[in-house]
Amino acid sequence: MRFDEIAIIAVRGIGLGSVYALVAMSFNIVKVSSGILNFAQGNMVVLGGLLAYFLFSMVGGPTQMSWYLFLPLAAIGVGILMTLQGIVILLPMRYSTEDHSWLITTMAFSVIIGAVLLITQGPNALSVRSVFPTFMVAGTHVPAPYLLTFALAVIWCLALSLFRTRTMTGLQISALWQNPEAARAAGLKIRRLQIVAFTISGLIVGSTGFVAAPMITVSADSGFRYVINGFVAVVIGGMGSNIGALIAGPLVGMVGMFAAYRYGAELQGVATLLALIAILLLRPQGLFGSTTARQV
Amino acid sequence: MLEIKKLFSGYGTIPILRDIEFSVKAGEILLIVGENGAGKSTLLRTVAGLIKPTEGTVELNGTNIAGAEPDKIVSRGLRLVLDGHQVFPEISVYDNLRLGASARKSSKAEFDRDVAEMFAVFPILEQKLRARARDLSGGQQQMLALAQAFVVKPSVLLCDEPSTGLAITLMPPIIDFLKKWAASGTAIVIVEQHLEIALGMAARVMLLERGAIRFSGTAPEFKQYIAAPAKEPPGAAKEASGAA
Amino acid sequence: MSSVEQGIGPTAGNPSKRSTATPLAARLNTDFPQVIVAVIAVVAFLTVSEWSGSAYWGGIAKLTSLYLVATVFMSILYVDAGQTSFGQGAIFGASAYAVAVVGSLQGYSFAVAAIAGLGAALIGGVLFALPALRVQWFYLGFVTLSASMVFPDVLVYFDSITKGINGIRAPFTSITDKTAIGLSPLTLMIALVTVGALAFQVWLARTRLGRQMKVAASSTVAAQSLGISPSLMRSVAFLVTAFGTGLAGMLYPPTVGFVSPNAFHVDLSVLFFFAIIVGGTNQPLGPVVGLILLYMVPNVFLASFVEYRLLIYGLVALLVMLLMPNGIMGTLEDWRRRRAGGAAGESLRLDRFIAAARSNRIPRIDAPDVIAIEVADVRKAFGSVKAVDGVSITIRRGEIHGLVGANGSGKTSLLNIFSGFSRASAGTVKIAGADVGGMAAHQIALLGIGRTFQTPRILPGLSVWENLEIGLDARNPSAERTIPDDLISELRATFKDRSIETIPHGQRRLLEIMRIVLKEADILLLDEPAAGLSPDERRTFSELLRSLRDDLGKTIVLVEHDLDLVWGTADRVTVLETGRVAASGTPQEVAANPAVSHMFIGGQRA
Repeated sequence: MRFDEIAIIAVRGIGLGSVYALVAMSFNIVKVSSGILNFAQGNMVVLGGLLAYFLFSMVGGPTQMSWYLFLPLAAIGVGILMTLQGIVILLPMRYSTEDHSWLITTMAFSVIIGAVLLITQGPNALSVRSVFPTFMVAGTHVPAPYLLTFALAVIWCLALSLFRTRTMTGLQISALWQNPEAARAAGLKIRRLQIVAFTISGLIVGSTGFVAAPMITVSADSGFRYVINGFVAVVIGGMGSNIGALIAGPLVGMVGMFAAYRYGAELQGVATLLALIAILLLRPQGLFGSTTARQV
Repeated sequence: MLEIKKLFSGYGTIPILRDIEFSVKAGEILLIVGENGAGKSTLLRTVAGLIKPTEGTVELNGTNIAGAEPDKIVSRGLRLVLDGHQVFPEISVYDNLRLGASARKSSKAEFDRDVAEMFAVFPILEQKLRARARDLSGGQQQMLALAQAFVVKPSVLLCDEPSTGLAITLMPPIIDFLKKWAASGTAIVIVEQHLEIALGMAARVMLLERGAIRFSGTAPEFKQYIAAPAKEPPGAAKEASGAA
Repeated sequence: MSSVEQGIGPTAGNPSKRSTATPLAARLNTDFPQVIVAVIAVVAFLTVSEWSGSAYWGGIAKLTSLYLVATVFMSILYVDAGQTSFGQGAIFGASAYAVAVVGSLQGYSFAVAAIAGLGAALIGGVLFALPALRVQWFYLGFVTLSASMVFPDVLVYFDSITKGINGIRAPFTSITDKTAIGLSPLTLMIALVTVGALAFQVWLARTRLGRQMKVAASSTVAAQSLGISPSLMRSVAFLVTAFGTGLAGMLYPPTVGFVSPNAFHVDLSVLFFFAIIVGGTNQPLGPVVGLILLYMVPNVFLASFVEYRLLIYGLVALLVMLLMPNGIMGTLEDWRRRRAGGAAGESLRLDRFIAAARSNRIPRIDAPDVIAIEVADVRKAFGSVKAVDGVSITIRRGEIHGLVGANGSGKTSLLNIFSGFSRASAGTVKIAGADVGGMAAHQIALLGIGRTFQTPRILPGLSVWENLEIGLDARNPSAERTIPDDLISELRATFKDRSIETIPHGQRRLLEIMRIVLKEADILLLDEPAAGLSPDERRTFSELLRSLRDDLGKTIVLVEHDLDLVWGTADRVTVLETGRVAASGTPQEVAANPAVSHMFIGGQRA
């Protein structure tokens, strides 16, 4: 392979993989606080992209200024939706995590969001133009979103770390993860923390969908790929580790890109599936997970 | 302060506690003893809301909190220190204390004051303020766990086997601390296996056996009870029944 | 006196009372009526739609029936065997494609193509089973979901064989043309397969294999303690499901006349899954109700609202899950049972059971010094924690041996080593003279070990009798039979309609013990059996243990906290402290041993 081919695979892989990393981070915070793996994350990313499309169309097209303005709006929009989802899902669950209803309710939510997308937008993918210019890598043009998503992933990883260590709510969620029984005994408001986790999760995927809109498929049935690849990134990176997600996401992205380049786009999914199986066989706790990682 | 009536509790379908009744007043220390499996931990956990009782009332300062969630119970002034010197291992001593206090609204000034009081009792916590809790020894973690409970200023403290896993020599400062804490008006219920440690501080003692109260009285009465010659050596019942 | 007269039934010991036995609780389940209704509905739908001449309705009937078969088999996999696997859509599609390729493209007859279809399905079953041997629950779910997701991509990739996106036309007129009775061979085959699937699930649940699969799904440790290999059960479940799904998949091409990758999107697997949950697990009509609601309503009855199909589907699934977590049929069944009320029914009387067993038993003359279990210098560490630190114990046959100590003393770890749930890091473990060092737990169970757990491993959804029958299922064929058949029949008759949900904890304890007695276990390992028993129940329990020893010759290892119980029952006692033996001997010897005197605190002993 020529150098520029490697460079393209790397850059695009990292860019797309950063989307997976962000999905993984959004998985992590909800998983560590309530044991739920939110299946609807994939469609929430698509929703973020949809919001980009709509918000820009309201102002006649994407501009750099509106981009900065609308990014937090999209994040908040999805954040609100996720909060509602969290409330609905957590309602019937008693504290005991033996209640597995969330598997179905999160999947149902995913289906509903996909359905709404289908109804409002039809089955075709929407395209959102990038507001930023392309940048050069090894002599070829790479669309800006590939770099922006990576930047977003790094920013979120840092932000979540600060949240975990510098804010009381973040500290409490971290405590819940480390010792759930002690957290209960200490009188922390567990349910409230779990819902906050959903909100933050929504902010993450909302911003992701918005920033990545020009490079992802904004259509009713594309959510699946993002949630599955996000999950693969969680497993490879280690459940609960955002650093792990930051590294594993781009890895998954690059593996997929390479497979698509070498063997055709159809095998992109097969490649990530094989990566998933390999990790589960060789190192099930992931790169940065601990073998004693507590499952809340 | 704390009054338990007709309490029945257990795990899932397994009944553990039967018809438990007792009360503790402000400033009093009640010691609960019993063999493993007698139900002592179950009792504390039920009172603190970690387990829902199947029957009975738990009156805290006049309000029945039976079946309430632990966060409500802590905000009403009852705090359980779990067995096994449990803290939040990955975060610092200081943050552990902040977490303890976060369950109750208090000002920074109050928090600093309470923490200063803790440092006076357990100087090691101040020395290791920024260390991660899991780098502390077991004894130090137990002190931290107690300090975490202290800063939320409960009116009733439940303490589950504070001596487990600790060398006997580490207990005196903890015992003194608990006595002072009670003297300041807190009702304390402490579960302990090691009688030599515990009898020194308790005003009253309750013996749990197989989920029911076997004895309840003052500490001196308890000492007499266990020394009583009417006590049969184990195995006597078997011989008496004539089983092979 | 015969066991029937002395008996354990409702009127035990008093023949004149027999006719006034307490009425049994409401019918345990409505499986058979549900299957009848389902069969009638399916057959009616298929035949009437075909006779009516409407190609549309005929197609709907056939396709829905095929989906029903796949859903039923997924129910076997997910509900009965406990495997969260979303691969059914892919297996269905693999079978369909194999038939289309071999039959339509290559020109073979349908019969040959069908064999190819089944073959493809079984290969798919093996592939999906492999991850299940390593991971479970949501990991397994995501892996299988991911595999289902790439399945259409793989079909497109190998377009030289599959014609890629374009799909394959597969008319199969030989079986779609109508015969004399106005039904095509295809319709007859579909009817046969569907009825077969519905009947199969209910039949399987009542076989030994079906029960063993449920035990493995419910509790891996209970399964192993009964000689069941969870891996084997999972593999069998996957293969059985793949076969059934393959049968449905192979009839797809003639039904639709066409296969394309999009028909086997991951959505199909999700549909089957939702149909089970919404319809109600453990109910034969569940998949039927689920598919009607989630497939037929959006796609057929509300077809004009095609845009909203997906939305209705998602909303129904969500609402049912939130409001009726047991699904529609499940909620109806709960309601029916609650309305019917029902008497408490007969209690389990283990004492009478043992007495009845004893009266039929030929006493075996045992050498009193035969060793049942022998461990020498056994060690077990978890990381740096030494759970068992050089323990040597001998358990003699026919004795009750108490194992006591504080939490963390190593007694449960030791019990786990005896029963094979934990491998000793050092030392030897011999059971009946045989070194069991490398053996898996389920293999050790077959040596005559029976184990109970701190929380009784009871299978919900099965009757009391079926929970006992699991013990019979686990009998080693070469073990001596101490329980006579008529006693077993009487147990079955008394408890076969008794729901397990209502029996109290003390009875569950007894059930677990009866189960391992039925298993013909010689060595009983009891893990804190007295927890949760009232003082009266403990007295009875103590007598029970002695009776098991004296009348049935059992060897019993009793791990317990209740020292009174142990001292009143055991022949010998071993005290463990921080992983080592602190004292061992007869109860009197141990009680007098100053090394462990701190164990006995205050209070009189009853």
